[in-house]
Amino acid sequence: MDRSRLYGWFLLSLTLAGAQAVTPAHHLSLADVARLQNLLSQPFTDLESAYHSVIGLTKLGAAVPDHDQVCQFIKSQLDPTSVDSIFFAAETSQAISGCEIPVSNETRDILLAAVSEDSSMTQIHRAVSALSSLGLPVVSKEVIGALTARINKEDNVMAITSALLTAARLPQQAEFGGILEEIEDLTARLDDLGGVYLQFEEGLEATATFVTAAYSLSDHVDMEPPLKEDQVIQLVNSIFSKKSWDSLAEASSVASAAAALSSNRFHVPVIVSAQGPATVSHSQPTLQLLVTDVMSQPLASANVLVESAYAVASKSIILSQAPFTLNDGVFELNFMSTQPASGYYQFTIAVAGDSRLVANHIELKVKVSTEVAISNMDLSVVDKDQSIGTKTTRVDFPSKAKIPFTADSHQNFAMSFQLVDVNTGVELTPHQTFVRLHNQKTGQEVVFVAEPDSKNLYKFELDTMERKSEFDSISGTYSLYLIVGDATLENPILWHMADVILKFLDEEAPATIQPKTLYVPKPEIQHLFREPEKKPPTVVSNTFTALILSPFLLLLILWFKLGANISNFSFSPSTILFHVGHAALLGLMYVYWTHLNMFQTLKYLAIIGSITFLAGNRMLAQKAVKRYVSQLVPDTNYILEGPLIPERKAWPLSDDENAADLRPLGSSSLPT
Amino acid sequence: MSNSVISVISRFLEEYTSTTPNKLKVVDAYLLYILLTGALQFLYCLLVGTFPFNSFLSGFISCVGAFILAVCLRIQINPQNKGEFLSISPERAFADFLFAHIVLHLVVINFIG
Repeated sequence: MDRSRLYGWFLLSLTLAGAQAVTPAHHLSLADVARLQNLLSQPFTDLESAYHSVIGLTKLGAAVPDHDQVCQFIKSQLDPTSVDSIFFAAETSQAISGCEIPVSNETRDILLAAVSEDSSMTQIHRAVSALSSLGLPVVSKEVIGALTARINKEDNVMAITSALLTAARLPQQAEFGGILEEIEDLTARLDDLGGVYLQFEEGLEATATFVTAAYSLSDHVDMEPPLKEDQVIQLVNSIFSKKSWDSLAEASSVASAAAALSSNRFHVPVIVSAQGPATVSHSQPTLQLLVTDVMSQPLASANVLVESAYAVASKSIILSQAPFTLNDGVFELNFMSTQPASGYYQFTIAVAGDSRLVANHIELKVKVSTEVAISNMDLSVVDKDQSIGTKTTRVDFPSKAKIPFTADSHQNFAMSFQLVDVNTGVELTPHQTFVRLHNQKTGQEVVFVAEPDSKNLYKFELDTMERKSEFDSISGTYSLYLIVGDATLENPILWHMADVILKFLDEEAPATIQPKTLYVPKPEIQHLFREPEKKPPTVVSNTFTALILSPFLLLLILWFKLGANISNFSFSPSTILFHVGHAALLGLMYVYWTHLNMFQTLKYLAIIGSITFLAGNRMLAQKAVKRYVSQLVPDTNYILEGPLIPERKAWPLSDDENAADLRPLGSSSLPT
Repeated sequence: MSNSVISVISRFLEEYTSTTPNKLKVVDAYLLYILLTGALQFLYCLLVGTFPFNSFLSGFISCVGAFILAVCLRIQINPQNKGEFLSISPERAFADFLFAHIVLHLVVINFIG
């Protein structure tokens, strides 16, 4: 039970995966191939550039010009002591016919010595390739041993790709097991960009060389490379998305990748594209497709088939399993023979014929266009009070009504017509059906939309009273046009049907016709600054200031009446310092109000405050001591000369003896 | 009705003048002064409007704060309340009064604008 469930999920995921398969977004068009060839045909500067040019051109299938000159060049540039030099020369001479590089024992020894764990991967690759091209014997075991050891030390992409290329040059009996696994490891290192591109972060050359290496080794050992179809297409997108190449090495790597993808034994991506726009019509009834490989070379043995085609609007299936016929390299299908209605159709196309084909199911949107004809165009002027049409005139396209129509505020102008497909007679509802009225004198233009009713009959009615604002109530002769347009129409229509004289009430017409000024500078905005708040008159403020200071006078009077005095003021230093400090604090408050900010004030406050505090503390302590002593020893006549709570007396006090009870708090007294 | 109110008030005044020590009467006079000043400020605000509002607030709050602090001082130095303020001598109360006033004036001057 679980097994079948799993199987079901597996199938579902497969179908989903298939439904969202990647399609090739980029390939080398013929123009791209020509551009690549051009780049590769530049005159050589050195042996390496000669190598890249020749190999690139050979892979593209282009002819290398002037073999003899190339051969001479190679021989002259060859440095028999350098492995690189021998490699470039050997590979290039192998590509062009009739060029032999002289091989000496020293050359062979140098190359064989380079095949060891201690040389870099590039050196091993070049040495082995050179030995193979020159026809010298190679010991596979040694090579594979060196490669495996080297892969452990040099783990980067280019090194492993070189290892793959080297392995592809060895005889087929060699033990490739370990090397083949590297293909899978490298595939895992590719970066997936948005599900569309798959590439190495090292760049285009690395990706293209990897593709070449993977397929060349797979072909060599006849084992399918572990690349899924989607991955192959994503690699195609990455490699062929760049259409101008920075260096010869990059260009030749792209050429090699293109050749590898066109002619390997396992995966051949198919590029299907419509020749011209994918549109069919009566004048052009055949849908033409180009089916090529990534280098835009036509696939000879392909069978192209429409699996299904359905109309986008109605979802009804028009075609199923219809084959294309090959005609002069282009696959054709006469779609109009099925008499489709105009509109868009979604085609699912399958390319068969070769088991290697990849991405051979594609979706294509095809447009069927047609021509429209206007029939039964009736223009009339209808009185508002009676709905009996007074004058109905039939106008035929493309002529114009002979007499102009007149409509004033009591009448409506009406129009009805039908739009039919010329070929099939089916009624059409195009996207644009407009009625345009153009005032010949003033240049005004008003456009309305004509809408079809349920029977696809188009009707338009102009109520002059209702619409007078659009016309600015300007009476006059207006030309009446009909505009019909749609993406699927081959003949859009602009038809001057008639002239209409519209009469509006003259009082409402503006005296001069104002052109609609949309893009003129707008009136300047004057910024209104915030009005300061209304202040009361100064007299009132001054009065109230005086009023508020008056209770202070009252206080002084009361204190005087109560008998408060400073007669016990002692001149000890702490007292004086305290009073000075206190006065300074009040002064600081005033200065804070006028000049300072909080931080400065706090600074001064700390200084003055601490002085005042210390002095005040001292002073108050002295005072407290005096008071305490006097309370302990009530007989001493220090301060208190009467009982603590005086007897009832009338207000205000007038006795001097009770006045002696009172001392201002801020003073200390000397014993008498 | 009004008779009893008048008699209550006159009795209160009599008791007040005879029983309160002079020290407290000095502080009471000060309290009256503060009250009048605050009331006059409020009257001005009612009559003329609240512009500038921050100045009005700082002046009014200064009066209110000073009143409160003076009331605290009066409570603390009242000999009848000695039992409740055993640890606070009158001098200490006065020192607290001064310190609190400094803080109050700092804030008031900051806000007065």
